[in-house]
Amino acid sequence: MRHQLVALFFIFFVSAGSLISTVSVGQVSSEAAYMPPRTPEGQPDLQGIWSNAVLTPLERPDQFADQAFLTEEEAVAYEAQRNDETFRGTRDLDAATDVAYAYNDFWWDQGSTIASTRRTSLVIDPPDGRIPPLTTEGEKRRNARDEYRRLHPADGPEDRLLRERCIVWSGGGDLGAGPPMLPSAYNNNFQLVQTADHVLILKEMIHETRVIPLDGRPHLPGSVRQWLGNSRGHWEGDTLVVETRNFTHKTHFQSTSEHMRLTERFTRLADDVLMYEFTVEDPVMLTRPWTAQIPTMKLDGLIYEYACHEANRGMVGLLGGARAEERAAREAANE
Amino acid sequence: MRILLIVLSAHIMFFTSIQLRAHHSFVAEFDPTQPIQLRGILTEVELINPHSWFHIDVTGPDGLVVSWAVEAGTPNTLFRKGITRDTLPVGVEILVDGYRAKDGTNTASGRDITFPDGREVYLEGSAPPAQDATSIP
Repeated sequence: MRHQLVALFFIFFVSAGSLISTVSVGQVSSEAAYMPPRTPEGQPDLQGIWSNAVLTPLERPDQFADQAFLTEEEAVAYEAQRNDETFRGTRDLDAATDVAYAYNDFWWDQGSTIASTRRTSLVIDPPDGRIPPLTTEGEKRRNARDEYRRLHPADGPEDRLLRERCIVWSGGGDLGAGPPMLPSAYNNNFQLVQTADHVLILKEMIHETRVIPLDGRPHLPGSVRQWLGNSRGHWEGDTLVVETRNFTHKTHFQSTSEHMRLTERFTRLADDVLMYEFTVEDPVMLTRPWTAQIPTMKLDGLIYEYACHEANRGMVGLLGGARAEERAAREAANE
Repeated sequence: MRILLIVLSAHIMFFTSIQLRAHHSFVAEFDPTQPIQLRGILTEVELINPHSWFHIDVTGPDGLVVSWAVEAGTPNTLFRKGITRDTLPVGVEILVDGYRAKDGTNTASGRDITFPDGREVYLEGSAPPAQDATSIP
């Protein structure tokens, strides 16, 4: 009996393993079958305007536990669920729900589809689809930042987020900024332009541009720190690999630090699909590296200018709101 | 011309546990306890970055005209959804649902706009779940 059970378990796991490999192999073979067009210099042509708007969450939701991929049927249902979550709120709801959902529909443009890979999260490694925990030092630094923000939410503009200050926001999350390029609320588009020895990536959100040499030159010295880091690129087969370091201590993409090293991979899988994959390493903050993957889609349209500083009246409102709250607190204390 | 200004009150719960992901930090700038409904004449549309602003003249029950500034989505998103200056002609009467600014000025965050014919300019963006919340410029 016990042997039969062991055999059954064996068959089950082998079958499950085959299913998983079928999915992976299927993706690899379709990737291998596609030959991207070439530039005059013979490089794979990745140029164009691409959208990374996607409803798939960065980290795997609890509802999928150990499931990395959805079946076609599950994907249809989940996509519907994600779209349903963006319902038009009504004033019949409590204000919290109204603001959290309906109000935001006025602003957000995250597309209406989940990732074409049918993955349950953008994070593909670790295998649980979750960003790995912070190191002890990482926790200490993050807690210190959180505490500062709690005590000084809006003393002045410098206390507000980089994105609110219209400075930088390639990525999102955890009060920080990238690169890498994660979808945000809107303007989820980037333009990629190639020359023989450079690649330019223009991100619509907060008009960020990276000019990336491909000629093998070394990174800038560690003493030079930049908002978008310092990027160097090279080709690995038909994949463009961009390595970025020299971030500042003011950007905290998903709780990383100035020690973050980023590796991005761009592979054209079809005329209208550019796979974007990135790996984040930060030995000071993260207990291990992590990798995410977004199939970006060709955008039928233009990149529009997002001159964020043009009329950033929100900053006035933010600081004015903070002063109003302080006045109210003083008055309440005096009563 | 019938113009109406209604300030609605609302009970607020769970605000400390819900992270809002409106532009900037919504709760830093606007007051979720002060939903506001404004009916007035559209006097100016500013399609500027990072956010558009609609200006309306609202006549109160006492006959006084008060100008309000209503913040809306980024022009880039509006364009992609087909919202242009032609969609929002100056001079029409609109109904705006939104939230009032904390600093007490006649400023509000716009949630949606309804025209007299019932046409609603409601931008069908998609919002991720609350746990993905962040503050957006």
